[in-house]
Amino acid sequence: MALTREFYRALEDVVGGRNISEDPAVTENYRCITAQSSAHYGPEDTRTPKPQAVVLPGSTDEVQQIVKLCNKYKVEFKAASTFWAAMGFIGSDNAIQLDMIRMDSIEVDAKNMLAIVEPFAVGGTVQVEAMKNGLTCNIAGVGCSSSTLAGSSGWVGFGPSSIFTGIASENLLGAEWVLPDGEIIRTGTLGSDGEWFCGEGPGPSPRAIFRGWTGTAGTMGVCTKIAIRLHPWPGPKWIPVRGTAPLYMADGLDNVRAYTICFPSWDAYAEGFRLLYEADVCYLAHRQFNMFGRDIKTALVEIFTHPEKQFCDIPALVEDPYLKEQNADMKIDVQIVLAGFSERDLDYKEKAFDAILEQIGAHKSEYYLQQDIEDFTKLYLLRLARKNYNYTLCSSYEGNFGLSANVFVAAPLMEEAAALKKKWEQTHTGVAAVGGDSDMGSVSGIGGGGTTGWEFFVHFDGFDRDSIYDSKAHIDETAAWMKEKGLGADFGRWNTEVRHPDGYNYTQEEHDAMYSKIAQPGLATYQWKIREAFNPNHLTGSYYKTATPPECKGKK
Amino acid sequence: MATKDSLKTILGNANVIDNPDVLASYAVSHSFDKNFKPWYVVKPKDAETVEKLVAFANETKTPLVPVSSTGVKLRGDSVPGVPEAVVVDLSGMDKILNVNRQQRMVVIEPGVTYDRLSAELAKQNMVIAGSLKPKKGQSVLTDIVEAVPRLNPMIQWNFFDPLRCAEVTWGDGTRMSTGEAAGGPLDLKTQWGKQQWQVQYMGPWMTDYFRLVTQAQGSMGIVTWASLKTAVKPLIHQLYVAEADDLADLEGFVYKAMWTRFPDEIFILNNMQLASLMGKTQAEIESLKEVLPPWIVAASAAGRELIPEVRFEARSKDLIDIAQASGLDLKEGLSNLSGRALYQEATSTDGDVYWKDLYAGSHQNVFFLTQLDKTGVFLRAVREIAEDFGYPTEDIGVYIQPKHQGSSYHMEFTFPYDPDSAKQTARVQDLTESVSVAVADLGGYYSRPYGKWAGIQLNKDAQSLMALKRLQKIFDPNDVMNPGKLAI
Repeated sequence: MALTREFYRALEDVVGGRNISEDPAVTENYRCITAQSSAHYGPEDTRTPKPQAVVLPGSTDEVQQIVKLCNKYKVEFKAASTFWAAMGFIGSDNAIQLDMIRMDSIEVDAKNMLAIVEPFAVGGTVQVEAMKNGLTCNIAGVGCSSSTLAGSSGWVGFGPSSIFTGIASENLLGAEWVLPDGEIIRTGTLGSDGEWFCGEGPGPSPRAIFRGWTGTAGTMGVCTKIAIRLHPWPGPKWIPVRGTAPLYMADGLDNVRAYTICFPSWDAYAEGFRLLYEADVCYLAHRQFNMFGRDIKTALVEIFTHPEKQFCDIPALVEDPYLKEQNADMKIDVQIVLAGFSERDLDYKEKAFDAILEQIGAHKSEYYLQQDIEDFTKLYLLRLARKNYNYTLCSSYEGNFGLSANVFVAAPLMEEAAALKKKWEQTHTGVAAVGGDSDMGSVSGIGGGGTTGWEFFVHFDGFDRDSIYDSKAHIDETAAWMKEKGLGADFGRWNTEVRHPDGYNYTQEEHDAMYSKIAQPGLATYQWKIREAFNPNHLTGSYYKTATPPECKGKK
Repeated sequence: MATKDSLKTILGNANVIDNPDVLASYAVSHSFDKNFKPWYVVKPKDAETVEKLVAFANETKTPLVPVSSTGVKLRGDSVPGVPEAVVVDLSGMDKILNVNRQQRMVVIEPGVTYDRLSAELAKQNMVIAGSLKPKKGQSVLTDIVEAVPRLNPMIQWNFFDPLRCAEVTWGDGTRMSTGEAAGGPLDLKTQWGKQQWQVQYMGPWMTDYFRLVTQAQGSMGIVTWASLKTAVKPLIHQLYVAEADDLADLEGFVYKAMWTRFPDEIFILNNMQLASLMGKTQAEIESLKEVLPPWIVAASAAGRELIPEVRFEARSKDLIDIAQASGLDLKEGLSNLSGRALYQEATSTDGDVYWKDLYAGSHQNVFFLTQLDKTGVFLRAVREIAEDFGYPTEDIGVYIQPKHQGSSYHMEFTFPYDPDSAKQTARVQDLTESVSVAVADLGGYYSRPYGKWAGIQLNKDAQSLMALKRLQKIFDPNDVMNPGKLAI
């Protein structure tokens, strides 16, 4: 559905001719494979619809004018910054895409430990600015090349350091938001005094409707600027790095230690988490390298830490007796970073950490105690800068399972989940054979610990149709298994739950069928009412889950 | 409008009260705002009854005012702001529904008080982060839902920690849970059977439902249970104290201590607030005020179940070092103040008379959020206004509490006065109104906008007001929940 010339010219007047395009060579690039959970890349026939135009606003004022025009002309819109996955893309042929790349400022208030960021300020850059001031930020699992604002305002947002730095929602302070109807709201202290330090209230918090747990994925308008809490960083003003690509290692972080814990059992693993939560020793806690799979994770780390090694070495490395032994030792593992804010603090944390290991019969992996590998691990985890490694094994991956946030529920099921995946690895060539268990994720899905954030990585060839469909079928079976176990929705369905497999929005009737019979229907019916109140023209797609309240059915 | 027979049908005869003396007791508060005597006081015993009551209120357009605490009402938010209201007294819903040591979670009903909860948690070596010396009948749930600051801000990754999930009957009569709990059935026992312990408070989807009942003064719905995150009880604990002549002298230490996250509790008091906390009579407070230093900062070190001595020693020595580097002498006590005694007073509940009323008989508070480096501006302004009103500035109590791991600071001014003196009462009323306006003009943020602060705050922010109006129309379309508050 082509845009009217009148509408296009109006948009052009707002942003200038250089910042708008309807050239198919441009707009085609703003389509995304309709991945199920996060992102997979490769030639697939189900891409999100092509936007009718791509617009690059340069200010909040411009965003507001664009949104008002969209309302006037009844054209859908969605804003995205770093375009990690399908949730940032439109779901209709009558839609434009806002690319927030021009808005990238960062201001740090070191004393009050906060940063004010625009949409295209990415995690890595925000962290660099923060570290200059003895601070750091939560970098969500999406990695440091993604937008801090998008992660904080628009999507889930926990990451390796969340046990210490909290998750996105917990760090969101004041926010400036262009509502779907074009009005601007500034939350908390920002609305009344222009200060950014509190995003709550006055009274009940209007921010309740923007963030939630999953985030609104661009369906509640356009977030144009936020303040986030920064967190203490006891290291140097920048992280000195040594090594040659891809073996970059953190250098001289004497008061920062990285360990890999080897647990004797899944029960010990769950109990270990409980103790780590209570002892407040962790600066970072993440199951990272198991994402490559239980049988090959050390092979991959060997390749990353030895520039002369290549992927073609994997078969030989997998058969290496020492590495096999290490893989077995690290069958149930987690990476931990300790950081000392004083010598005494580091001493306490080391002793407390050792006491926990002793109590549960766990030990530190000797493999990861090698200096180069420890320093590699530190840099990898503190920056979360190697998101591209997720794709290196097979070109694509999806996350599935999700299991339960309660580690005492999830841990006893890990082997069963791993066996289910291994069955697919053995019977379907499209799912990479990595040893079944490829569970990874954050030890803490909430600040201070208490919930976890797991996913199994399903590696597949994104350039092979059979592989793509094998992975999808596997995730379907995973979802059925989770339902059977009473574990709730599968992490791997996050996109398929909210848009059609062909990339288009669900209709209201489809949403009603999906969400009106849930255990507590108010969840969806109140969101319907909120959408009606703040997004009366329904211009932002179907990621916002709604069900028509019974009393409103049939009414316009 | 409500009739007694209808209410009796819903609540039972014994739970509908219209005794004039009892009704009058629900209309008394420290607030200067206009209060109304309720028509009835009702005492539901369970959430199902609350749900029926709210449905009835919608049918009859009856205002409902939820109350969970007993004893003196300090802010006026739980006293009817309109005539013909029904007070919903939830203090009898006082069950501790679940204590889970593994998850460090507790689920409580609105009527549970600090003393009861602390005793129950102590059995499993847990504690709840408390507020500064709450009144004896203070509902823990209300204290936390209303975001009264915690003495230990380090446990607050989220602004509203330790609040996690809640069950709410919204103003339109719909009962639902918030956060993780909304993903399952309303029945908690079924959730516990699946090892779901109401830990994760967000969402559970796109909307943070719990944020709509926090700081709401009962204007959005009635909370019938809440899950709270607890902490492991310290085995070794010491509250240290450092004194200063000026508030500004404490700034460097507090910023650095917050940066390290070494302390558990950390807060600032001036001599008047400290004397009020420690003294048991007007005379004691008067004499203590004279000998205590103008300002103190209190910061604690703790050791818990895991190598407690090592943690305690590390935290203690580091805090002392940080203080020294900031020009302060952090000690176990001053010549006339023991840190342990201060901790005992700060964390215990009140006696028969509210502690801020001991000095003169009553008091008024003005509190708001700011940042630490701006507190001096407010201090100067408030003292100047007090001088203009002829109020003795040495009687002004000041309490500063970091919140949300130090991202914001609660600043509270307390003005004691003799309620039997019409002159003093009128002066304090005029003074606090002037202070309230001045604070707002200087950028003080009434995140919890009680009484006149609602109008002052929302008049500064038309878009938030607009958003709140829209939300209230969704969740309380007939305006039955505590109307007259919040200025929406």
